[in-house]
Parts: sequence; structure tokens; C-alpha cells
Amino acid sequence: MHAKKLSPLLAVVMGLALAVTLFPVFWIVMTAIKPPTDWNASPAIWIPSEPTHINFLTLFDPEAIGAYGVGGVSQSATKAVWGSVRASIIATALSVSIGLLSAIGITRYGNGSKIAPLVILSGRMFPPAAIAVPFVIIFSNVGLTDSYVGLIAIYAAATLPFSTWMLKSFVEDLPREVEEAAMIDGRSRLMAHLTVTIPLIRGGIFATTLFIFILNWSEFMFSLVLSYTNISTIPVQLARYVTATAGTLYGVQAALAVLAMVPLMLMGYLIQSHLARGMTFGAIKQ
Amino acid sequence: MSTSPPLNTTPTPAPTLALEQVHKRFRSTQALRDVTLTVPEASFTVLLGPAGAGKTTTLRVIAGLDQPDTGRVLLGGQDMHGWEPKNRNVAMIFDNLALYPNRTGYQNMASPLRIRGEKPEVIREKVEAMGKTLKVLHILDRLPRTMSGGERQRIALGRALIRTPQLFLLDEPLSSLDAMLRIELRAELKRLQRECGATFLMATPDYTEALAVADTVALLREGQVVQLAGPQVLYDLPVDREAARFVGAPQINCLPARYVPGQGRVEVAGGSISASPALAQAFGDAETLFELGVRPECLALADPGDASLRGEVIDVEPLGLKSVLTVRNDAAELRLVVETAELARRGVAVGRSQGVTVANPGALLAFDMHTGLRIAPDGDAKAQ
Repeated sequence: MHAKKLSPLLAVVMGLALAVTLFPVFWIVMTAIKPPTDWNASPAIWIPSEPTHINFLTLFDPEAIGAYGVGGVSQSATKAVWGSVRASIIATALSVSIGLLSAIGITRYGNGSKIAPLVILSGRMFPPAAIAVPFVIIFSNVGLTDSYVGLIAIYAAATLPFSTWMLKSFVEDLPREVEEAAMIDGRSRLMAHLTVTIPLIRGGIFATTLFIFILNWSEFMFSLVLSYTNISTIPVQLARYVTATAGTLYGVQAALAVLAMVPLMLMGYLIQSHLARGMTFGAIKQ
Repeated sequence: MSTSPPLNTTPTPAPTLALEQVHKRFRSTQALRDVTLTVPEASFTVLLGPAGAGKTTTLRVIAGLDQPDTGRVLLGGQDMHGWEPKNRNVAMIFDNLALYPNRTGYQNMASPLRIRGEKPEVIREKVEAMGKTLKVLHILDRLPRTMSGGERQRIALGRALIRTPQLFLLDEPLSSLDAMLRIELRAELKRLQRECGATFLMATPDYTEALAVADTVALLREGQVVQLAGPQVLYDLPVDREAARFVGAPQINCLPARYVPGQGRVEVAGGSISASPALAQAFGDAETLFELGVRPECLALADPGDASLRGEVIDVEPLGLKSVLTVRNDAAELRLVVETAELARRGVAVGRSQGVTVANPGALLAFDMHTGLRIAPDGDAKAQ
């Protein structure tokens, strides 16, 4: 791992790309520490003159923003944060576990047909909005609306095609003979997968988990239509910071968005060393 | 074989392996057709065939990694239908080795013993003994990715040989080694097999390897066993033209020929040679068009006066002790293997005209023009 020197042209292009990519992040973070007067000032204020943490305080104490004469925030974000944490973690675990089983099943025990994986993916070929309403109707008939069970079920189902397809590609990369060698050495099929397949595609499992977690963490449509009073998630809560008196509370929204970024960045940082590919190098000839 | 009893109550012991009419199809390709094969205990059997002949599939079906569509696999007389690989008591070396990339050489070799719950000290002893035999002691604590191709190959060999299964399946176990090591290791394999009294079934596309180690060779082509014979029989009496071409280098000369019954002669390659008694017996009184198979070492150089065949030397390939000569005339092109010393003595050079004679008429082979099957002396063209 030695650093490569960038050519000047490449450095400029990369710098531009980085600027474009990171600008929204910069703007969100800045807005999160702006006092209400700076939120939609014209001309725009880039760096707040008086940084404040009032937006963050307002997330958990709706009255706090009152100090700036802004009112109308009805609800603390605590419930939404815990709702997101709960729904995303459980749904991601479900999605990745089931996806792993189906990925191994399709790759190793399928008949080689391309139809099954396509059928699995077809669940994602509809716009979520098109299936959200039917789901609300079905769920209200079985009492799953406004419950985490319902939300988790739909999150797991909606991300399952992605986890299956991503994990499938990692399983395909692993020569099947390596796990077959374990079977010959005396492992049952199940144990061969547990002791050989899964450890060897660990990097892929981490990457998939992160990706699925991001999908669930930022999901809005299903959460919006399925939550009334019992459940909430961060994206839904973000949309609630619109007041009749003060308009949209941009700073508070930004504060919640910044808070929502933290776990993702933390996860990404923690697993990056596991994301390296080439885990199987050396298993086979050349 | 269809009456072989399920229990080991027979007076004669069941062969270690018996395949009965095994068929296997992968989507559009018929991988195995009617493979019937018996491997006796303590024998070294080789599956010989070109790529795609079904060697690997045969081994995988035996190991239980693939299921036959129809037909039976019997190990020690027991029908293996529905048995998982781990219960079949076979060891296998994969074509691509399939080492555990995240485990050291030691751990790779210890794996079968560890899974079977052997004591750590027993494992250490066995791995070290095997490491010594295979000359890999110095790489036992390294990961496969830091090993050379030959080292990986030997670790894979060790992982299989460390056990005492009823049958070893070896899928081209020597293919990625350099030539010298390959010859050394194949002798080692044969010695190991003989000393342990183990039963080996090895797949290889290399006929020299097959002839060198095998007690019996099963020649596979397009998923079929076309000949099952001892190595010398395979060479001397190939079942058909393809088999004759596949076994032996330089390749056998196959020349259109005509048997002339009255004189007991064969007209071939613009000349005429006397038919061997076997050929004469095979053809009887009928004038027959056939294809004559002449191994390059059955031909010899001759003075133009005594030669039955003549042509221009178009290529000389010196191989040390022997040389390969290609001689062409209007009717045919002949390859022959001769002592290199003889070339100088006779003044053989590219462009010169040269006489050729059949040195060993007994080894001439006749193949049917249409089916390519070898025509046997008893007159019928059936494979034996």
C-alpha cells in the first residue's frame, strides 16, 4: 500500500469531484450549527457567525429553539432515532441472513437457471410508491401498520433482493472446490458453509451489511405511510420539522441529518479494513 | 455387476469402487454416458482423456459432489446413493487444488484430521511426517498465497494423503508442476500407493503420466469409457484410431492402405509392405481398404534399394538420443523415430531423399476406414 503520486490534471479533476461530492455535507454541517436567523439568509451565510448547538438541543427538547423566538416544534426526535436504530438493525440482520442463505442456495444448489435470481430482483422493479399503498391496505388488515414488526418486515423484504444479489456475487467469486474440499475432509454441507464459505466471504458480508443498513436507515416512503403515532424513523421525523408559524426549521433538520450520518460514517470506518477483496488468493492454481 | 449384493456377505470382496452405467447431464452437455468401471482394492487406476472428456465429473460423482442422473456408485460394495461426501470415506485432490486460503500449510494438511477429532499430538506427528515425505516442512506455517505453484500442489497432496480413506481421487494432481518435479512426484505417488496398499483413481490428460503409474487405464472420450486396459495393452492394442492417436508421441502414422490378399501385401504410402500374419489373418481373402496405423518407432531408415517406402526428408527434430524425422512423398507423410547417431551415419538431411522400412511388422495396426475401430485378427472389428 504505497501512495501514488497524482498527475496534476488528475489532481484537479479529483479535487473538483470531491468538492461536488462533499459540498452538500459541508452545507448540512454548517446549517446544523447556524442560529435560525442564518438558516435562509440572503445572501447565503457560508460559515455561521455565531455557531450554536441550539438545533441539536431542539432535537431532544422541542422547546429549546424558543430561545430564538421560534416555536411550533411538537415532538422530540428521540423516538424517531430509536425507531430508526431498532428497525434498521433488525431489518438489516434479517435481510443479510436470509440473503446469505439464498445467495449460497442459488449459487451452489440452484440449477444454474437465471430465472430465480431475476424473480427475486423483480421485487425491486416497481417504484416503492407503487407498492406502498397496497402494503398499507394489506398491513392494516392484519394489524401491522404503525408497528415496528410491520416496518421491519417490509424493510427486510424490500432490501432482500439487494442482499441476495450482492452476496451472490461474493459467493460466486469463491471457488466452490474450497468448500467441497471441506466436505471431503469430513464436514457436512452446512458445516462446510459455516466454516469455509462464510469466513471467506466475510468482507462481502460486511460490505452488504453496510449497504443494506444505509438503505434501511434512509428509507422514507414505507416509513411515512406505515407510521401514525406508535412508530417513527429519522427520515419521517425530518419531514416533520415544518411549522405553521416559522416555516421549515432548516437548522433542526440539518442537525438531525448530521446526527443520522454519524453511525454510518462510524460503521464505514470500522469495517473498511474488511472490505478488501482478494480474500481467496492462494486457494487455487495461479 | 447388476446382481452385486448390498451386504458384504459375498465370498469375494467387493471392489473398492464400482460405477454402474452412470449417466450425468449438465444442461445441454452430456458429461457422462453409461460409465461402467471397476477399481479393485490397492490398485492404481487412471482416467485418461482430453479436456472435457468427463474425468473431473467422474471423480465428482464418486466423491458425492455431483449426483448421477442414473446409474449407481458403489464404494466397497455399498450403494452410495444419498450419501454425503463426508460419509463416503474418500479423499480428493482438486484440479484447482482448493486450499483453504486463510489457513497455513500446516492447518490445511491437518484439517481432515482435526475435523475427525484426532488428538493434537497425533495430528502434529502425522502432519510433520507427511510434510517430510512431500518436502514441505519449511512452508508449513505459511499461507497458500505465499507459496509457489508446486508448493501449493504438494500441500494439497498432503491434505489428501494424510488420511487413510478407502479411495483416493486425484484430479490432475501434478498438472501445475514443472516437468522434472512432475516426473519425480509421479514416481513418489506410485511408491506411496504401493507401500500403503491404497487405492488410487487419478485423472490426467497426459498419457505418459498414465502409462507411468497406472495398473489399469480407463480411456475416456466424450463422457464414455472407450477402453479399459493395462497401460501396455492400451499402447499396443488401442481400441480405435482416436485412442491410438491420443496415446503416444510423436503421434502414430495413420495412412490409407489397401490389403492385397494374393500376395499378402499392403499397399500404402506409394509403396508396398508385407502384411503381418495378424493382418493377413484379420483380412482373410478379401481385398480391403483400411487405415494402417504405424507407430513412429516401428519405422526404420533403410537404403533406397531395400526400402519399401521412399520420400523426401522435410523435417528433423533432434531429441538427444532419438530424433523425430518427417518424410514425405506424393501419397503420404511419415513420422519416424530413429537413433540420432544413425542420422549422421546415413547422411540424413532435410531435402534429401530417404528410404524407409517397417522394422516391426508385428506392431502394425489396422483401423476400419469408416468407424475407425481397430480391426482385430479374428476378423471382426469389435473393440476388445
